[in-house]
Amino acid sequence: MKDVTFGQYYPKDSFVHRMDARIKILASIAYIVGVFLVQSFHFLGFAACFLFVLITTITAKVPFLKVLKSIKAIMFFIILSAILQLFFNSDGEVLLDLSFIKITDLGLLNAAFIIVRISLVVLGASLLTLTTSPVELADGIESLLYPLKFIKFPVHEFALIMSIALRFIPTLLDETDRIIKAQKARGADFESGNIFKRAKALIPVLIPLLISSFRRADELADAMDARCYSGSKNRTKYKKMKLTWRDLIGTILVAGLIVGVVYLNNFYVLLTVAL
Amino acid sequence: MRIEVKDLTYSYEQSSKKGGQVALDKVSITIEEGEFFGIIGQTGSGKSTFVQHLNGLIKVEKDRGSIKIGEFDLTDKKCDFKALRKKVGMVFQYPEHQLFAETVFEDVAFGLKNFAPEMSEREIEERVEQAITLVGLDYSKVKEKSPFELSGGQKRRVAIAGVIVTKPEILVLDEPVAGLDPAGKKDFLALLKKLHKMFVKTVVLVSHDMNVISEHCSRAAIFSAGKILTVGTPKDIFANEDELISLGLSLPTTAFIEKRLSHSGINPKSNLTVSDFIDKLCEEFVGGKR
Repeated sequence: MKDVTFGQYYPKDSFVHRMDARIKILASIAYIVGVFLVQSFHFLGFAACFLFVLITTITAKVPFLKVLKSIKAIMFFIILSAILQLFFNSDGEVLLDLSFIKITDLGLLNAAFIIVRISLVVLGASLLTLTTSPVELADGIESLLYPLKFIKFPVHEFALIMSIALRFIPTLLDETDRIIKAQKARGADFESGNIFKRAKALIPVLIPLLISSFRRADELADAMDARCYSGSKNRTKYKKMKLTWRDLIGTILVAGLIVGVVYLNNFYVLLTVAL
Repeated sequence: MRIEVKDLTYSYEQSSKKGGQVALDKVSITIEEGEFFGIIGQTGSGKSTFVQHLNGLIKVEKDRGSIKIGEFDLTDKKCDFKALRKKVGMVFQYPEHQLFAETVFEDVAFGLKNFAPEMSEREIEERVEQAITLVGLDYSKVKEKSPFELSGGQKRRVAIAGVIVTKPEILVLDEPVAGLDPAGKKDFLALLKKLHKMFVKTVVLVSHDMNVISEHCSRAAIFSAGKILTVGTPKDIFANEDELISLGLSLPTTAFIEKRLSHSGINPKSNLTVSDFIDKLCEEFVGGKR
């Protein structure tokens, strides 16, 4: 339970940590767009994205292993996508013929491509959550969504729901850990049996978890009520967000990345034309 | 079954090379069969981490000490943890939070069905009825009820029934009386004493309540910063008031009065249980008549 890195804040005082949350969110989106801009088999573009992640990690003073761990959380998803690519791609030269499935060189390349693409996206996203505290993140999203107010979208409430959800992730993880232990002590077995058996074994964990979540929600609502919490009007912020020179540099770097990716895509084309 | 712990070390967050926070630091202790053993210490002193080792919920890492419970060697990779957990029951803090089944009967039977899948329906029913009656609930009234419609105190009783239903030889309890009213506390400790006379041979009780320790435990240990400071009878461990206070603990009422009396030259020298204390005082003042 303890190795869920995705969505966990790594407190540190660094260039990246001090950047404006809004810029970081936009930069992350831009970065992800950048990763998706890389055309099939143009791995040089990925190298540029990876370099970007590396530079950000170093300036953020986050241990690189911590960032890499985020991939572990969605390993299953990555492998599944890769296998699908590998088995259901019938273009290209056949490398291995098992009569019912054919593994082709293009399939192999595609699988590798997918693995790298998803991993890079996850690395970028986890860098955002590692360097931005949940509160900043929610504030940033609220501020970015501000224009939606004009179509009567409850932006503040939405941001509040989000920050509460983020705030409770570690609490719920602890709780899950405790309940799992309590049921294990009563002989519950989560590790053996087929997938249905294992799913069924989770019921004694999920139900207490659900009940305690409702209880917590009730308590939180009462506590907020008791302190006269009311929506967004005239509410001031403890921390005002301000753009600084750091944000300018960050923006330039991300813009550079996207230009670089597009250039590298064309670089391949130019290379093939030249050859 | 005897509990033998040697040089047990454990730290959370192994991933960070500096070792993270050390929760247990070379803890060695032996708890004999038949003991009513108490564990006290500040929050974060390693008590909970320690007791969770006792039924393999936290596993001993390589070269980080050893635990032997009866014939079970918890350091051994082939150790049958399921069989161990059947013998070592564990009651967590706020055990009522682990209730999940549709009926009280199903919830109490959960452990039994896990540990002894070969048991017949009739036998299961008998055992569940026995456990529910033991914790002081009316079996015929509660068995078909949903555990969630019961009161807080009743929920906890059901949860405890769900642990003792397997008749563990060793019962480990982590602050079982937290949040109970005085009457509930008293009932619970009476239940514990009763169980200790029946199938439960050894009780390991973590508590913040010094009176519970002095009244019920044959021996106790004080944990501080992942180490055991003192082990001994309540009389031994409550001998040094200043040390206890510096650890954020306190004296049980009997020890407190004894200490104050000793300033005026009266030394009852009781074993710190309430009844013995009163007896000794009577001896001192009125020659033994109570």
